Amino acid sequence: MRGKPKLAVYWTGGCGGCDVSFLELGPALLDVLSQVEIVFWPALVDTKRADLEELPPRSITATLVNGTLRTEENVEMVRLLREKSQLVVAFGACAHLGGVPGLANLASREEILRTVTGNGFRLAPPPGGDAEDSPPELLGAARPLADEVAVDYTVPGCPPMPSLIGPFFEALLSGDLPDPGHVFAQEQALCKECPRTREDRKLTKVLRPHEALPDPQECLLDQGMICMGPVTRGGCGAACPKAGMPCTGCVGPTPEAGDPALAMIAALGSLVRAGDEGPAAFAAEDRVLDTLVDPLGTFYKYSLPVYVRARRAA
Amino acid sequence: MPNPRPDARGPRIGVFVCHCGKNIAGTVEVERVVEALARHPGVVYAARHEYMCSDPGQDLIKRAIKDHRLTGVVVAACSPTMHETTFRNAAEEAGLNPYLLEIANIREGCSWVHEGPETTDKAIRIARAAVEKVKGNHPLAPTEVGHADKCLVIGGGVSGIQAALDVANAGYEVVLVERSPSIGGRMAQLSETFPTLDCSQCILTPKMVEAARHPKIRLLTYAEVESVSGYLGNYHVVIRKKPTYVDPDKCNLCGDCAKVCPVRVPDEFNRGLSPRAAIYVPFPQAVPSSYTLDEEHCLGLNPLRCGECAKVCTVGAINYDMREERIEEDVAAIVVATGYDLYGKERMTEYGAGTVPDVIDALEFERLLSAGGPTRGEVRRPSDGKVPKEVVFIQCSGSRDPELHKPYCSKICCMYTAKHALLYRHSVHDGTAYIFYIDIRAGGKEYEEFVVRAMEDERILYLRGKVAKVYRDGDKVIVWGVDTLTGKRIEVAADLVVLAQAMVPSVGTEELARKLHIACGGEGFLKEAHPKLRPLEALTAGIFLAGAAHGPKDIPEAVAQGSGAAAKAIAILSSPTLTHSPEVAEVDEDLCSGCAVCVPQCPYGAISPGEVAHVNELLCEGCGTCVAACPSGAMRMRNQTDDQVKRMIRVALGEPVEVGRG
Repeated sequence: MRGKPKLAVYWTGGCGGCDVSFLELGPALLDVLSQVEIVFWPALVDTKRADLEELPPRSITATLVNGTLRTEENVEMVRLLREKSQLVVAFGACAHLGGVPGLANLASREEILRTVTGNGFRLAPPPGGDAEDSPPELLGAARPLADEVAVDYTVPGCPPMPSLIGPFFEALLSGDLPDPGHVFAQEQALCKECPRTREDRKLTKVLRPHEALPDPQECLLDQGMICMGPVTRGGCGAACPKAGMPCTGCVGPTPEAGDPALAMIAALGSLVRAGDEGPAAFAAEDRVLDTLVDPLGTFYKYSLPVYVRARRAA
Repeated sequence: MPNPRPDARGPRIGVFVCHCGKNIAGTVEVERVVEALARHPGVVYAARHEYMCSDPGQDLIKRAIKDHRLTGVVVAACSPTMHETTFRNAAEEAGLNPYLLEIANIREGCSWVHEGPETTDKAIRIARAAVEKVKGNHPLAPTEVGHADKCLVIGGGVSGIQAALDVANAGYEVVLVERSPSIGGRMAQLSETFPTLDCSQCILTPKMVEAARHPKIRLLTYAEVESVSGYLGNYHVVIRKKPTYVDPDKCNLCGDCAKVCPVRVPDEFNRGLSPRAAIYVPFPQAVPSSYTLDEEHCLGLNPLRCGECAKVCTVGAINYDMREERIEEDVAAIVVATGYDLYGKERMTEYGAGTVPDVIDALEFERLLSAGGPTRGEVRRPSDGKVPKEVVFIQCSGSRDPELHKPYCSKICCMYTAKHALLYRHSVHDGTAYIFYIDIRAGGKEYEEFVVRAMEDERILYLRGKVAKVYRDGDKVIVWGVDTLTGKRIEVAADLVVLAQAMVPSVGTEELARKLHIACGGEGFLKEAHPKLRPLEALTAGIFLAGAAHGPKDIPEAVAQGSGAAAKAIAILSSPTLTHSPEVAEVDEDLCSGCAVCVPQCPYGAISPGEVAHVNELLCEGCGTCVAACPSGAMRMRNQTDDQVKRMIRVALGEPVEVGRG
């Protein structure tokens, strides 16, 4: 590799948190920045699409894309970036799994437009502008990056934590890169990193985080909080459970867990206990599980577009 | 038939389809199954046989394994519970690891339950799914383990005594645990036994004495099993022995202590028909032969408060400082013989039981008939001690009554009621005995003859019908019933009514079953592994069932079952080592996060938590509950992985098979 590695960072349908997350590297960020040449990063440097188009193919060492794919313009841009890059990295939960904006897939494109713009409202070009300046068309559904372009690596998380970003840059800058497809997180669930104690494994009630102040030592799941820890990759250091908040699964499911909702339903169905043994208990256990508010949003908070494909016609 | 397009590198599976006479071939076109499977990817050979389990059938498999260098075998036949072992042994003899053979159940799961052309289609799908499973199987070896050299028998009734004696006589040590102060169980309470009218105690006590004196039997009475852990061959048992406060080696049964004891409580052995002191011996022939001080009713085990018994005990047998003992034993096998109780008579409000003193249950009547009973064998009724001249016996009291009571037949009541009536007539020559019955079930050696004798020689009045109501009128007990043979209403002004109460499992059976990780059926009786072919085994290996804890049965059956359970235990004790199936769950330690969701799911307590979960292979029975619960996919069932199951489902649903995998 001649000269400094060339780096691009781009955002599609995201919140901007991923761009900020680099700052969390702290002083280490200065080391990283001194070792790379930033060729394209709209949030940081003044570069335009035209600058990108002028670059020769595969001239960018690595492009980090954050955000979900939501508009036709998103798709055009990531295709362009793919063409200009040797490596494309899905950075953050949106690019990885669709992310929180992916929950919009529970509604159709038309329903979303109606809700946002009101009935009868047409998206028009800005005053005095051309038709070309009108906002890009919304895709039928939010999609993860890998739906559109080949993704070499993933740095997961919402946003990615320094403990996951750091190893990625180490690998990139040392040239000692893992096999393609690698996700920069643990293969084991984050319970491995969680200091909470697991004494009496059972779920007797379902609590939302605002409904109780959890015991500081005991497993949150055993206290009734739906912690996605058991199905979610470690690597974050169990940051949320340590702070008394249940894991919401932003790093994504472990490789063998598969669909996080199915894995979690199997686990909750196993853990739930109510009433005495026997058929009467089943009904009581159902009632406990029925109190779970927003199961889809709980289990697929970051991953709906990957695991639930659109079935509705319009 | 050989596959026309065999794959040289991939798996080489042989499929063997059984006709099972007409059991399978009657509804499944076996030839078509063979043709379809011969074309299935990975299958290099498919054949059929009239009876695959026959020697020629097994030889067909063995030859094909060698001739076609098979790497896996599917036998499409009956349920794996029938012949899996047969065929796996055959495969092993031919040099194929037995765990590379799978059964496709096309009989119980297909030919027996369907008809029409789809039956063959389903058989093909089942067999194909089994082929896909075999492709993912790995060769395994059974786990070998040593074992303890003792047997635990829980329950000192006749069935448990028999089991203990048989095991001990075979040369193995037995720990016999009995909850009450004496062994003997229900049989010790009976007067005479049907159909021979042997004195119950006379035939039982020799066995009790033998059990007590046997050098290989450690008798622990007044003791209960507190906890059980471990697995087949290596159970660790904790037993709690309550203090009797009397040294059995010093006690000479003089009875002076009971005479001075100021306490009187109902005597359990006599079903409350007589009182006993707080220090007592349940019956004269009790084993161990010693008084027991009942802590609950004693005035306080405090010499300052009472201490009368200790004052009069000339041999100094009474020791108020005796403490509960905690005894630990390692045993290879466990026989559960915890017996039965009678369904509480107070539940029979329609028969006035519990409110009318002269409505008694069958065991109370046994005590009235017993020479050692509260009336010294004279039939006298509880209310006023008069000899009853008219006695009504009601059969099926609480049995065969799914609406209000128990749905099942208690099996022995027809016989003992005939005996009761007959013995009553022997005792009260001018008395009249009526028996209300639904049917007479007298299946057993010389049982029918016994009932006929009661009917004909003793002129006992058998009335076919149910009793509608029993109530007290003065010193009489009025019984209203209908004789369904004549259609006439019957009213008897009886002196005594005897209810043949339903048999129920003894108190605590369910709790003990939980400790042992064995199952109870719907009515609480212990459940056997197979109702026909494994009637003595619990579903947990190494635990055997004997006597009425398993279901209503009479003495010869209970004794036979005790001997049978003993034979099963001896088979374990006499094996140099035990083997355990390797088809169990295992943890992928690279994936397990130690979240411990699996731990409480295991019905066998086989999983221990930690940095990563650990499965005790010897405790695991391969049920797969933990695999389903595991959130991160770290728990796997050997030779039954998610990948295998998915492939089986896909092929069963008719999706094309990916070639070149496996």
